[in-house]
Amino acid sequence: MKALLLAVATSLLWAGIAQAQGPRAEPPANRPGTGLAVPSEAPAPPSVPAEMVVPDLVVDLSRARVSITSAFQGESILMFGMFDPPGEIVVVVAGPEARETVLRKERFLGLWLNTGRQSFDNVPAYYAIAASQPLQRLLARGAGGEILSLEDRLSLIKAIGPRSPAELAKFRAGLVDVKRREGLYPAAIGQVTVQAGRLFRVDLPFPSRLPEGIYDVKAYLLRDGKIVAAVSRPLPVGKVGFSAQLAGWASHDGMYYGLGAIAMALFAGWLGGAVMRRL
Amino acid sequence: MEIYLPIAEQSMNVFLLLGLGAAAGLLAGMFGVGGGFLATPLLIFVGIPPAVAVASQANQVIANSVSSLQVQWRRGNVDFRMGLVLLLGGMFGSTAGVWLFTYLKRIGQIDFVIAVLYVIMLSTIGLLMLAESVRTYLKRRRNAGAPRGKLHTHYLVHRLPLKLRFYKSKLYISALLPVGLGFLIGILSAILGVGGGFVLVPAMIYLLGMPTAVVIGTSNFQILFVAANVTLLQAITNGTVDVVLALLLILGGVVGAPIGSRLAARLPGVVLRGLMAVLILAVAVELLTELLRTPSSPYSLGIREFPR
Repeated sequence: MKALLLAVATSLLWAGIAQAQGPRAEPPANRPGTGLAVPSEAPAPPSVPAEMVVPDLVVDLSRARVSITSAFQGESILMFGMFDPPGEIVVVVAGPEARETVLRKERFLGLWLNTGRQSFDNVPAYYAIAASQPLQRLLARGAGGEILSLEDRLSLIKAIGPRSPAELAKFRAGLVDVKRREGLYPAAIGQVTVQAGRLFRVDLPFPSRLPEGIYDVKAYLLRDGKIVAAVSRPLPVGKVGFSAQLAGWASHDGMYYGLGAIAMALFAGWLGGAVMRRL
Repeated sequence: MEIYLPIAEQSMNVFLLLGLGAAAGLLAGMFGVGGGFLATPLLIFVGIPPAVAVASQANQVIANSVSSLQVQWRRGNVDFRMGLVLLLGGMFGSTAGVWLFTYLKRIGQIDFVIAVLYVIMLSTIGLLMLAESVRTYLKRRRNAGAPRGKLHTHYLVHRLPLKLRFYKSKLYISALLPVGLGFLIGILSAILGVGGGFVLVPAMIYLLGMPTAVVIGTSNFQILFVAANVTLLQAITNGTVDVVLALLLILGGVVGAPIGSRLAARLPGVVLRGLMAVLILAVAVELLTELLRTPSSPYSLGIREFPR
């Protein structure tokens, strides 16, 4: 049942994209091969039976997970879906939470060195928010509650140790600054685009330096400033293949990893020396 | 072509890393010292976290000293007794160095300490080398032969206890001297990710008074084991050894080293040392400006910790 609904939704979306690609030249987010999970035998002309109970909001991701392979350079993931009009769509992506320590450089004897430090708990590794309308307008209408702008989300992180509110605000701003530079708190995430009044899509950009963990991608349907439906999708981010093995080895079995690294270097050095002398 | 470095947790251009390795290998081939003292700052310049750069560079040093040691061993240019005494200090020094490194990393000062130590070390060596090569060059132009000095000068250090006889080096000196030297090089090796040959070699010649012929082989012997110790301890305590990064540097070095030794055979030594001095000073100046310049943002992030 669910699969059929999804198939219907995706084929609707495909139709929407095909339409839009004519005059408007959409950015080709769905590169060939990245595979929107559309079964090739999906029913071509979508027809929703009248008696079927259609949920208000159906979503899917272009990929089930972000795989950090040896060739990983960051990735853009498409979230797409269908909703019952009227309404507005907001998508929030939050990475796993951890304690982050913000360091601040100050001038000391002419040299810049880290003198201040402040730790925060519950800092999301990644945070992005997109909406089908300017976000301020949506949130100003009182849609708030569960949906948090980056500023609101960061006001929830817990500072560790005593510090004046003014100073804390500076460190918090510093945290956003660093995360933004690393592409982890994307400021200008592509807005949610709506087609045919009921199909939406949004590109979620993930940079190459991406912390691992389970990310939460959540879509909300808003009507008159109220959340009427919400669908959450876990998005695992992790190293796979060779790099996963190496990283796992390095963190669990530091000693064997170290011995392996030594053996590798000994062999490579010996071989390199031997080969180069022959030439 | 980009490759993802699993420990540095970022992707980087393969050819950039191979080129860096080749440049370090070129220096190694030209001057008989490992290029680590230039490769580590360059890795930091291209954006590898200093902790990863240092630990992975130590891994690369192993390969470098093994291929150099092969040659020296065959020629009988290794004073094993001296090497072992140096190594005794080196093991303690590098262990203490990794411990210090871990502590500095935890308090968020490791980047600063690495940069400052590099500035001090590179500018000292660069200036000394530059002065030496200019002096040699001028002397040669005046065409005056230097008066032959004594074979050994005796300083206070020669009165230290625990004297040992080093047959191959034709020395009878206190073991405390090489142990202490090994200890200092060990610390340097652990914190800066270098083999330390560029400090060890002159110190062995001028401080210990070893014959030049056995210096390179003996220093390589000690560097090999110290670098292995640093790699192992860094892997255990900090988990910052990136083998993919190290392997790329090694591959680059394998290509660079023979080119370096061929170049060295062609260019006169004075010019070579002069060029090297300028290069070293340039890196020192760049690191110093990084320390002096107002950063674009004073904020950075420390280690991410997960709630237990």
